[in-house]
Amino acid sequence: MLGFFFKKQRHVESLIYKYLDNFRETQKRFEDGLNTCLAASDCGVVDFLAEQTHKFESRGDDIREEIKTLMYAKALIPESRGDIMGLLEALDKIPGLFQLLLYMIKTQKLVIPEFMVSEIKELIEVSLATCELMLQQIERLFQGSPGVRALVSSIDHNESQCDHIERRIITNLFNSDLDPYKKILLKELVVYMGEISNQAEHVSRRANIIKMKRTV
Amino acid sequence: MLSLLGGIFLGWSLGANDASNVFGSAVASKMLKFWSAAILASLFVLIGAVLEGGTGIETVSALTLLDLESAVVSSVAAAITVTLMTLLGLPVSTSQAVVGALIGIGLLNRQFNFAGLEKIVVCWIGTPIAGTVIAIILYRVLAVFYNRLKVNLFQSDIILRLCLIGAGAYGAYALGANNVANVTAVFVGAGLLTVLAATLIGGLSIGLGILTFSRPVMETVGKRLVRLDPFSAFVVVFAEAITVHFYAFVGVPVSTSQAVVGAVLGVGIIKGIQTVSRRTLFNILVGWLLTPIVATVLALMLDFGIHLQYVPNP
Repeated sequence: MLGFFFKKQRHVESLIYKYLDNFRETQKRFEDGLNTCLAASDCGVVDFLAEQTHKFESRGDDIREEIKTLMYAKALIPESRGDIMGLLEALDKIPGLFQLLLYMIKTQKLVIPEFMVSEIKELIEVSLATCELMLQQIERLFQGSPGVRALVSSIDHNESQCDHIERRIITNLFNSDLDPYKKILLKELVVYMGEISNQAEHVSRRANIIKMKRTV
Repeated sequence: MLSLLGGIFLGWSLGANDASNVFGSAVASKMLKFWSAAILASLFVLIGAVLEGGTGIETVSALTLLDLESAVVSSVAAAITVTLMTLLGLPVSTSQAVVGALIGIGLLNRQFNFAGLEKIVVCWIGTPIAGTVIAIILYRVLAVFYNRLKVNLFQSDIILRLCLIGAGAYGAYALGANNVANVTAVFVGAGLLTVLAATLIGGLSIGLGILTFSRPVMETVGKRLVRLDPFSAFVVVFAEAITVHFYAFVGVPVSTSQAVVGAVLGVGIIKGIQTVSRRTLFNILVGWLLTPIVATVLALMLDFGIHLQYVPNP
């Protein structure tokens, strides 16, 4: 009933859910793109899915801008505006990473060596699972459901796992006979992949702080 | 009508200054448009003045014997005091300025109700203390309910916004009920106005001040409260409103600013943080002591001035 009197608030709320849906779409395109690349020895086929990821990432930016404009047009109290914008800005770095990774593969014509494929798959799998937990946590935060705090530890656990996998991949990479120049390029790619879970953990901590701030 | 100008000016400056204590945080944080806040505040000030302003008027008008001349002198002296103290950047209480001016008049006609003054001074001391205590109790009690609410971030936002607007409206009501005596009580004492007419004229002049000149004060003073989290800002405004309303029942006009400072201090005690600087407290103390003294001296000087007579040399 209160929502009837606060249309801007309702609109911001629906835009946030739209942004989260768009995040999932971007994530799916990235996952498809990367899996295609890992399955094929030649990553040239990634073009279409990289463009799709870019399209969804840009749409996410547009939604975020719309939320920002609406919030600063006097929807929500200042503290909530700052909290939500901070959370969305931190969250938005992840689709940026998805896009960056596919463009790195595309523009640098990277070929993932056979011995790295399974470990990279594992790293991406855990990273994307962490992102899904983070999205669930944000949904709980905005729905007022319990369990926001509990998800922090699950996300933290996943992030540590990603760090271990990332270090293992880099160690194996530098133990291999690959061209040093390729090693550097692939290491950069793996570091950016590891950044996904780091950022998800950062967003998760922010969400938890927002929740805690609302307990007086 | 001209005789009322000093009182109307006092009411106007009171409205311009004190509206910030009730709607400052909502306006400064852009939760509420200035015009919505100003209209709400003026309306509730007028309702408060008419419904509950009479008791305070009786207390203040009974402080000393007043005729039309002394009523004008006291209201002009109080108005000049408020302007002077504001120019000096010291926190000023209109109530203290009015009572100070009446002390001056009482000294001149050697008829002063010291029992009434004692009651007023006790209430002045009690204002920030009551603000602090009420804020502490409110924070503790309301926090229990707030934390148990099964609402999401957006709903909690709406609830806090509505609470802040509601507390602001209640604060405006309490402001009108409590402070209208400062504006027109002296004219009731002088027999120029009835209590009802005094509450109406007083309420309207405070409302005029809110509508015409409260915007800059609301935006600057309000930002101090916005630094508090929304729940604390709500508690502060609500505690200030209850404090001022309580003194309206007692029939003693008090300072809304001092009630706000007390409430902010109370929230600081609960949260274990320093919300009011020592310098602010020092300034309040200086303003608290100086305002009645300056008003008394000004009333004496004005009275002396208007009784000067030109005596030509024989």
